[in-house]
Amino acid sequence: MYTTTPQSKQTIESLWRLEKIILDTLDFNQVVQNIVDCVLTELGYLQLGYRIVVLALADDQSNSLKRVSISQTDEAKKALEITPVPFHDITIPLSETGNLCIKCVTDKQSQTTHDWKDILCPPYTVDEARQVQQAIGIKTSMIFPVIYHGVARGVMIFSMLKDESEVSDSELDLLRGFTEVVGIAVQNARLYSDLQKTSADLDSANKRLQQLDKAKDEFVSLASHELRTPMTAIKSYVWMVLNDKSGPKTKDYLQLVFNSTERLIHLVNDMLDISRIESGRVQLKLAPFDMPGLLAQIVDEFKARAGDKKIKLELELKEHLPPVTADRDKVMQVLENLVGNSLKFTDSGGKITLSAKADQNFLETSVSDSGRGISEDEMDKLFTKFERGGSPLTTLSEPGTGLGLYLCKQYIELHKGTISVKSKLGQGSTFTFTLPLQ
Amino acid sequence: MADAARILVVEDDQALRDLYVLILKDAGFAVDEAADGEAALAAMQKGGYDLVLLDIVLPKLDGIKILEHLKTSPPDALNKKIVVLSNLGHDEIISNAMALGSVGYLIKSDYTPDQIVLRVREFLGGK
Repeated sequence: MYTTTPQSKQTIESLWRLEKIILDTLDFNQVVQNIVDCVLTELGYLQLGYRIVVLALADDQSNSLKRVSISQTDEAKKALEITPVPFHDITIPLSETGNLCIKCVTDKQSQTTHDWKDILCPPYTVDEARQVQQAIGIKTSMIFPVIYHGVARGVMIFSMLKDESEVSDSELDLLRGFTEVVGIAVQNARLYSDLQKTSADLDSANKRLQQLDKAKDEFVSLASHELRTPMTAIKSYVWMVLNDKSGPKTKDYLQLVFNSTERLIHLVNDMLDISRIESGRVQLKLAPFDMPGLLAQIVDEFKARAGDKKIKLELELKEHLPPVTADRDKVMQVLENLVGNSLKFTDSGGKITLSAKADQNFLETSVSDSGRGISEDEMDKLFTKFERGGSPLTTLSEPGTGLGLYLCKQYIELHKGTISVKSKLGQGSTFTFTLPLQ
Repeated sequence: MADAARILVVEDDQALRDLYVLILKDAGFAVDEAADGEAALAAMQKGGYDLVLLDIVLPKLDGIKILEHLKTSPPDALNKKIVVLSNLGHDEIISNAMALGSVGYLIKSDYTPDQIVLRVREFLGGK
């Protein structure tokens, strides 16, 4: 009673052979094809009257049972030809409890039928099911659940020419044993393809990170250059004064040092602002305010500097303007940047004009100067970090931190406004930004 | 001084350029200056300098492009030594400059004026 019968020994050997085949590969498509082929090809079940083997798996998204693979026998090929519904479209909702495949999944018990209406309706009609069955000559179909971790994940359907009574116990043992392993094989293959996808995703994320890293390195190098430049002036000129090499020029040297510290502070502030914006930590403090009032404040602020350079700084307001709801400090920063730039790039005797107008939806503010203008290549890179057109190494030599316009763009866009420039080389520039009027 | 070594200072920042020219003249050298890339290239093409202190970030033409130009069309009179004096310091640009013929790469902010003179004397030393 405790000895292994020749029959069970053979079953165990057969199972072992089948398992080797289906667990041998992790490629999903190969696995599901091997699953439906190997019983027939490896164990000669064709001779035992088996003709078609089908694997169907549960699809969580559509809550249904979907056909996945079919054996490569002549009968299977015929079925594929005459099927009223394409094989891969044969979908049975899990709610169709009248269907034996569904019952198999729900009860986790094998089922048997002599009538294909039990396994193909829906989507076939009863007549269609019986017609196809007759055309192929199938007598019996046995359905086994495919189980993984105690949950039925699908079914295997073995269709044969013989009657149920002609199925031996060893066949049943084998098919039961086999379908128990099918669940593992399918799950492994699924996990593997998920793994491959995750791997591919990680790979492209990594490549993107490397790109960002390189961009960051370049930015850091350019930023260090911008920081070192004023510091070199400070270090050198202070050294001269300390070592009594400045003579009558001491005050001039110290003024140079002072200007450099201003430049440094400005740069560091800009970089902090950018860091804040890029990590999404900037919150706009929105409140209604009067643009004409702000523009007048700006004119006041820059009056002295403009006067020093003999540049006319004017306000041009024709119409009455509604109040705008925005972050006044940020808008002020934008205006200071634009006017500051205009002052830098406009020669003595030139003119800078601040103006504003409004329509139903937007308040449009402009800073116009009669300065040296901007060339077409420079225009493209105007609002980017450090690059102002041309070779980055030459434009870095121009005055200004190179971050100002980038910041302006970020601030205005945070308000859901736009910023743009109109300019021709030698003919001045006009920077315009809009703010939405709620 | 007929014997004085000839130095070319290429630097776009006026405050720094004036200072370098001043300290080098004080140290007894014959000093020429260039404030942008095009002027620098023209001076270096004419050549004949014992030492060129070359900045990289320059208006009109950058230092690396200048070195490239000189490689393809050598100067009329040889420039004995070219030393880069820049505030850019990433590995790529340093190796680029050295490969294009500069014999040294100095980071400006590392040096006080007297140290600049010292390094210049060192580079000229072998003369």
